[in-house]
Amino acid sequence: MNRRRFLLDLLSASAALAVAGPATRAFAGDPAQFAAGLERHPWMAGWRQVSAEALGPTRATLEGRLPDGFAGTLYRNGPAWFERDGFRYEHWFDGDGMVHGWRFGDGRVVHRGRMVATPKFEREKTLGRFATLAAGTTVPNPLPIRNNDDANTANTAVTVIGDRLFALCEAGSAFELDPDSLATLGPVTWRPDLAAVPFSAHPLVDRDGSSWNFGSIAMMGGNGLLVWHVNARGALISADVLETPEPGYLHAFAMTDRHLVFMLIPVDFGQGGSFFDRMRFASSRACRVAVVDKATPSKARWFETGFTTAYHFGDAFERRGRIVMRTVQHLDPDEARSPMKAAMQGHDGQSPKPTRLVELHLDLKSGKAHWETLAGDGIEFPLFDARTRGDRPARLYAPTRAGESSSPYFNAVAMLDPERGMREVHRYGRDILAEEHVFVPRRGSTKPDDGWLVGTLLDHARGRSGVAILDARRVAAGPVAQAWVPYTFPLGFHGTFAAA
Amino acid sequence: MNRIRHALALVAASTVLAASAQAATLSVDLTGIRAAKGELRIALVDANGYDGGAKPVAATIVAAQGATARAVFADVAPGRYAVMVVHDENGNGQLDTNMLGMPTEGYGFSNNPNVMRKPTFDEAAFAFDGDTTVDVAIR
Repeated sequence: MNRRRFLLDLLSASAALAVAGPATRAFAGDPAQFAAGLERHPWMAGWRQVSAEALGPTRATLEGRLPDGFAGTLYRNGPAWFERDGFRYEHWFDGDGMVHGWRFGDGRVVHRGRMVATPKFEREKTLGRFATLAAGTTVPNPLPIRNNDDANTANTAVTVIGDRLFALCEAGSAFELDPDSLATLGPVTWRPDLAAVPFSAHPLVDRDGSSWNFGSIAMMGGNGLLVWHVNARGALISADVLETPEPGYLHAFAMTDRHLVFMLIPVDFGQGGSFFDRMRFASSRACRVAVVDKATPSKARWFETGFTTAYHFGDAFERRGRIVMRTVQHLDPDEARSPMKAAMQGHDGQSPKPTRLVELHLDLKSGKAHWETLAGDGIEFPLFDARTRGDRPARLYAPTRAGESSSPYFNAVAMLDPERGMREVHRYGRDILAEEHVFVPRRGSTKPDDGWLVGTLLDHARGRSGVAILDARRVAAGPVAQAWVPYTFPLGFHGTFAAA
Repeated sequence: MNRIRHALALVAASTVLAASAQAATLSVDLTGIRAAKGELRIALVDANGYDGGAKPVAATIVAAQGATARAVFADVAPGRYAVMVVHDENGNGQLDTNMLGMPTEGYGFSNNPNVMRKPTFDEAAFAFDGDTTVDVAIR
């Protein structure tokens, strides 16, 4: 490996993260404009700044009954702090992360939320203003930063390894949190030379309990991926550099029992503005797909396939010399650079973003790849039961839209089983915003898809945030239990369930 | 790679002060020190010393005991200088970086240039012509 390739200059990390030079223009949203939009469109509560640095613990009002043996905590993360000193981020991804815990057990549901105390959040709290390069908003007069972790918002996802809880973001370290109080313990250094190297937001847990993840070195101004492998107790097994033929963007990945699959979306960078201002998905070029044998993480077999914009992947499986990987394609690559941008600015009228479920076929014999379109429009955040056999497709569980809705966001959850032509939907209602639904195995069961979906909701008409539990095999029947707290907090992105 | 590390390596090398006829005192006020441990290695360099082409004009070490610290260089001749600071938190004599070459310990430059690369000498340089205090914010 030639490390010289990776560094164009000192702190290219920060350069790649945001502005190429001193910010001279502020493209911020206006808090007053957002407040006015929220007044007219209560569904924008999903993008309203959280009311406090810590929420709860609050015993939620339970409707229905928790399933027997259902106990544990749904942890979730998402941007929650959008405004300081009359300045509002214009990009959803810029908000500082708040981690939530929904604790289930003994017939009770208790909610707690807490801002992740990153160096960025703490520094800006003291200053009373945003003062850090952001991914999607041009922040005026940013302070110098030591490295990318000074700009880390820890706002995208959570993972639990062993009994340790981590808040994740794609451009920096994992931040460890106390799993009970959600207090921030600090950034994790898995090995001294890997301090501040990105540990991105979508680690995948293997059948032995170990976690695979990647960190984008391209995002740090270089080229390549760092492939992480952490054991079930949270110790680093390996960290290998996978060189890539050209820089590309990726937010997540997929894996089979034997392989990791990384899809690099071609991008170009213009001048000026934040990372997402400058980045353009290059739809005229092919995606490059790395198929990496887990036994040799620094080596890949590369495939080329038609351009696709995707953030999130479902399952991947492998049979008869072929890997099949599912993902949610965004049909408007430009819109995908700033999801819910209008809502962030308090503007109504944004139509739901068009997506479709697609399947990438990678033929390991011929080296050819092609896409197939599956039934499954208008979804995002697909999850599945990781116990599904490695040689067959999994059922996917994802938020979607159904019927009338007062917002351009999801208001329903779907089970999709394209191979068997099955689809079940539960519509929460017109005024409910529905988020990712995590699959939780039924206690004592080993049968794939025998379990529960646990998903979070925002009921803007009644001013409450909540959580629903559905039987994964009877999605259309709706929740067996829902629990609500008498306040709302902004929507998040991703969660994980830690069984008690 | 690691140009900052290379340049700041000289900071680690303490040298004896060079006195001159019209010498005066340069004070360096450090702020933003994040950890009350290890040493602050402070180098006063001229244009030749900035990129490692010559030894620092002067260098000193101050223990990191709080969020702020002060270093004093006595008998500094008039001239154009820059100050470079490394916070060697773990006392291993260098500015630690990760595998990508990004600093993982604190550092700073005179004028506190807000650039996302190593500043140029001109960006960090100041004219010294009598007793002066410069502020360096550790990043």
